[in-house]
Amino acid sequence: MELLKVENLSFTYPGAGKKALEGVSFTLERGSFNLLCGRSGCGKSTLLRLLKRELAPYGERSGEIRYKGAPLEALEPRVSAGEIGFVTQNPEEQIVTDKVWHELAFGLENLGLPQADIRRRVGEMASYFGIQDWYHRDTDGLSGGQKQLLNLAAVMVLQPRLLLLDEPTGQLDPIAAADFMATLQKLNRELGLTILLAEHRLEEVFPIAHRVIAMEEGAILSDAPPRETAAALRGQPLAQGLPSACRIWSGLGAAEPCPMTVGEGREFLEAGYGSRRGARVCPPAAAPGEPVLEAEHIWFRYAREAPDVLRDLSLSLRRGEIFSVLGGNGTGKTTTLGVLSGLDRPYRGQVLLEGKKLRDWRGTSLYRGKLALLPQNPKTLFLRPTLREDLEEQLRAMEIPREAWPRKVAELADRLGLEDFLARHPYDLSGGEQQKCALGRLLLTEPQVLLLDEPTKGLDADFKNRFAGLLGDLRDRGKAILLVTHDVEFAAQVSDRCGLFFDGQLISQGPPQEFFSANNFYTTAASRISRTLFPNAVLCREVVALCQGETL
Amino acid sequence: MNAFSKVHPGVASVYFLGILLFSMFVMNPVLELLTLLGGLLFCSSLPGDKKGLGGYFGMILIMALVNPLFSHNGVTPLFFMNGNAVTLEALAYGAAMGVMLGGVLLWCRSFSLLMTSEKLVYLVGRGCPKLAVVLSSALRYVPMLKRQARRVERAQRAAGLFGPDNRADRLRASLRVWAVLVSWSLENGVETARSMAARGYGLRGRTNYGNVSFTLRDGVLLGVVAALSGGVLAGLLAGELAFSWYPALVWREPGPLGAGSYVCFGALALLPVCLEWEERIRWNYSRSKI
Amino acid sequence: MKKYVSAALLLLMVPAVVVLGATVFRDKQYAFVSLAVAVLACGAFFLSFERRETGPIRLVLLAVMTALSVAGRLLFAVLPGFKPVTAMVVLTAMYFGGEAGFLTGALTAVLSNFYFGQGPWTPFQMVTWGLLGFVAGLLRNRLKASRLFLALYGAVAGVAFSLLMDVWTAVWIDGTLTLSRYLAAVATSGGYMLLYALSNVIFLLLLRKPMGEILGRIQKKYGIT
Repeated sequence: MELLKVENLSFTYPGAGKKALEGVSFTLERGSFNLLCGRSGCGKSTLLRLLKRELAPYGERSGEIRYKGAPLEALEPRVSAGEIGFVTQNPEEQIVTDKVWHELAFGLENLGLPQADIRRRVGEMASYFGIQDWYHRDTDGLSGGQKQLLNLAAVMVLQPRLLLLDEPTGQLDPIAAADFMATLQKLNRELGLTILLAEHRLEEVFPIAHRVIAMEEGAILSDAPPRETAAALRGQPLAQGLPSACRIWSGLGAAEPCPMTVGEGREFLEAGYGSRRGARVCPPAAAPGEPVLEAEHIWFRYAREAPDVLRDLSLSLRRGEIFSVLGGNGTGKTTTLGVLSGLDRPYRGQVLLEGKKLRDWRGTSLYRGKLALLPQNPKTLFLRPTLREDLEEQLRAMEIPREAWPRKVAELADRLGLEDFLARHPYDLSGGEQQKCALGRLLLTEPQVLLLDEPTKGLDADFKNRFAGLLGDLRDRGKAILLVTHDVEFAAQVSDRCGLFFDGQLISQGPPQEFFSANNFYTTAASRISRTLFPNAVLCREVVALCQGETL
Repeated sequence: MNAFSKVHPGVASVYFLGILLFSMFVMNPVLELLTLLGGLLFCSSLPGDKKGLGGYFGMILIMALVNPLFSHNGVTPLFFMNGNAVTLEALAYGAAMGVMLGGVLLWCRSFSLLMTSEKLVYLVGRGCPKLAVVLSSALRYVPMLKRQARRVERAQRAAGLFGPDNRADRLRASLRVWAVLVSWSLENGVETARSMAARGYGLRGRTNYGNVSFTLRDGVLLGVVAALSGGVLAGLLAGELAFSWYPALVWREPGPLGAGSYVCFGALALLPVCLEWEERIRWNYSRSKI
Repeated sequence: MKKYVSAALLLLMVPAVVVLGATVFRDKQYAFVSLAVAVLACGAFFLSFERRETGPIRLVLLAVMTALSVAGRLLFAVLPGFKPVTAMVVLTAMYFGGEAGFLTGALTAVLSNFYFGQGPWTPFQMVTWGLLGFVAGLLRNRLKASRLFLALYGAVAGVAFSLLMDVWTAVWIDGTLTLSRYLAAVATSGGYMLLYALSNVIFLLLLRKPMGEILGRIQKKYGIT
């Protein structure tokens, strides 16, 4: 039985020459779990928003959307608001009220339910989601994962039939993301809720979806169960975002059905490539540059009575290397960046930049030309109505003569591919584009040391690859780059050295092949798939190469 | 958890309103002292910082000493300063003002501690549901803005946008942070509005949900408050509580009605403390039975 | 019908308050009446807001403006008196109308006093900030047209805020407005008055352009304000 049917849907934003969606048709079966994937800007969000009447963007639309057989426009407002739920990427901005319980009740108040009904439904939902422990708290004090779970629960109290989600885990750390996905799966299985989920992070969710709709350039590329989708996408750029097992399979051009999970992947390799057992990756011996940034026995806490966040942390960052610091939430990764950048001062130990104590770098000399910190949220940097003005403002702060501005801006835009964004408002760009613009802005300060806080949050696979290329390029120019991240795959791909952060200090570090193959849990999917055959392969392309008998 | 915090916010508001009106606008020394006493006892039974409480006595003293400088009315000069009389009446009036101010501030402090934003939003929502949404939403944004302000400040500092440390630069920097915050929050607000719309905001017949319910106990309490206030009011209307400060201090000997009014007000001022004691006794009693 | 009833009720409240003041709170009838009228004025504005159709975007933006001015009062805590509150209220009035200005001003007073301390002054702050916003709403076209006029309004608003709050202080202490008490109050708050005026001018001039741009953008991007 179909719940939603989209027929030949096209959409154009006002003033845009190109159609954002063109001839999109598909149906959603009742109780199905559907995954919508595609690169940033492929029209996923536009499509999802068109399916939710209250959020439909302004523009020119043609084609039809039928919900339970009736056109979407003809739905009763109450039905439309209640039966079709929507959760977006940013956990913060969806929360309306100040208390958790009030947020849960908000939608029911809107529908005009009496007090007793609201109490029952809210109570039931809070128990189902395990919210009762923080039911009376302020919404603002919750963690990102809790906020997103609250957003989901606040939609679920309305008892929707169809749930639309637009990259709901984009801003969450891996553990919170896994929790969220598990909840979604439970809702689908236990309540028969129909789900349409747009997502970049496919490793876990791809195998469990009933159907995958892949989009490119506003049109549907394929619409099939996951295994067939993987086959259909083989060789397409979109395939970069698929789970590691699929990517390895795809890279090997194997004929067998596509493996989807780590277990299937392992079986697939054992069956087909057992003869290559024991092959090793030989990482290039990196020529170590001299250390630029050194932290020595750092102790730090935020307040006198607060517990220590950093406990005897020591690390050094060399010229021409990318060093990734991995670790769970709340282990002090971001705090480390605060201390290394001189924004926070340790109460014991010291940080040396080029052999000179951080606090001896006077005023602006540190942040203009030596060290730059890319914040987790790039929006904190922008103020002007266009990117160009923002970049020029940075140049003004750097006291560069006005005549040189156009040349400097053009050079930077050319290097990072920012030409199309210069005349646009930074807030109108996608998360990945904003990240790139923010990086560009910082590069204008010509830093020797670049510190990055979660640079891949919410980026799609394609963007991550390009970002990795950009960082590699900077490294080759002799910059020292330190990034803290949850993104194991990205760290494995880009780093010269990785370290695991736990309990306020670095507990292990080494080149990625060594580092990840020594970890059992905190490692890439490719490593988990291939570790019975290849002791130190951590990237899909390494696994593929070893299978094919190449030496690395 | 204070006993009074469980009282229905509507009843609590009526109660606070009564106490504040009587103490603020009736200049009667007995009432003022009772207010101060009740306020002190109430405030110290509440959780929270008690360090500031001593400061109120300093304020009372200052008010008493400052008033004679402005007011030279009164028939009992104590001494002369710069050719102006410093009178007993002015001194007494100042002291009474101080006591009143101290009492009122103590009650306001208790009020802020008990009438949490949550209860305020609920009460406002009973009469003005739309306003309650604005309030609740604003309350949700304030801590978020504070956090974001810190993030913006750090991001901009580490991007080398702040000049060397001098006062003018620091001011310019904080204005910059402010401007970023304004645009960020307005942009964010639009997304919040969309999330509201997605959950049906704007449909007809919105209801107002609160985590509170009006119990029999609340009803009884409301009755008690109304009766006691009525008693005070009766005394006021009959002029039994009149006290003249100028030109001379004249205390009107209260008749039976006046005496009743004083008792009523005393009971009113000590009501929260009584509730607190009642709860403690009940608790101890229930423990002892086990 | 309901609208007229509540309007009539509010109007009837004014003489009732005066009578109550004259009979019950004789010593302090002026203070009582002024406080009660302040509360009633806020009530009138709130009710009229409640009656009007308000879309979600407008509603949230009002909440955001209120939160901004509350947060501003907290964030600029280092310099007492140097606050963006009045500026935010005036800007709200310029772009969302006088009623919205009143609301932002009044709500800012209540909410920020959760941090700064509630007191009998709260209703007066509500009305004073509210009225500064309301008047700015009446003058919105001229305020938008001329920077000079905007700066002037900011300065006057700063002075007016201080002077009005002093009236209330004096009335509350003496029961009537005595000149000597009022002048003393004005003298002690004179420094603040200058700071208020200065900060209003600075914040208004600084935020005038970005606010216009942001709201224009939002209007274009989402088709509504």
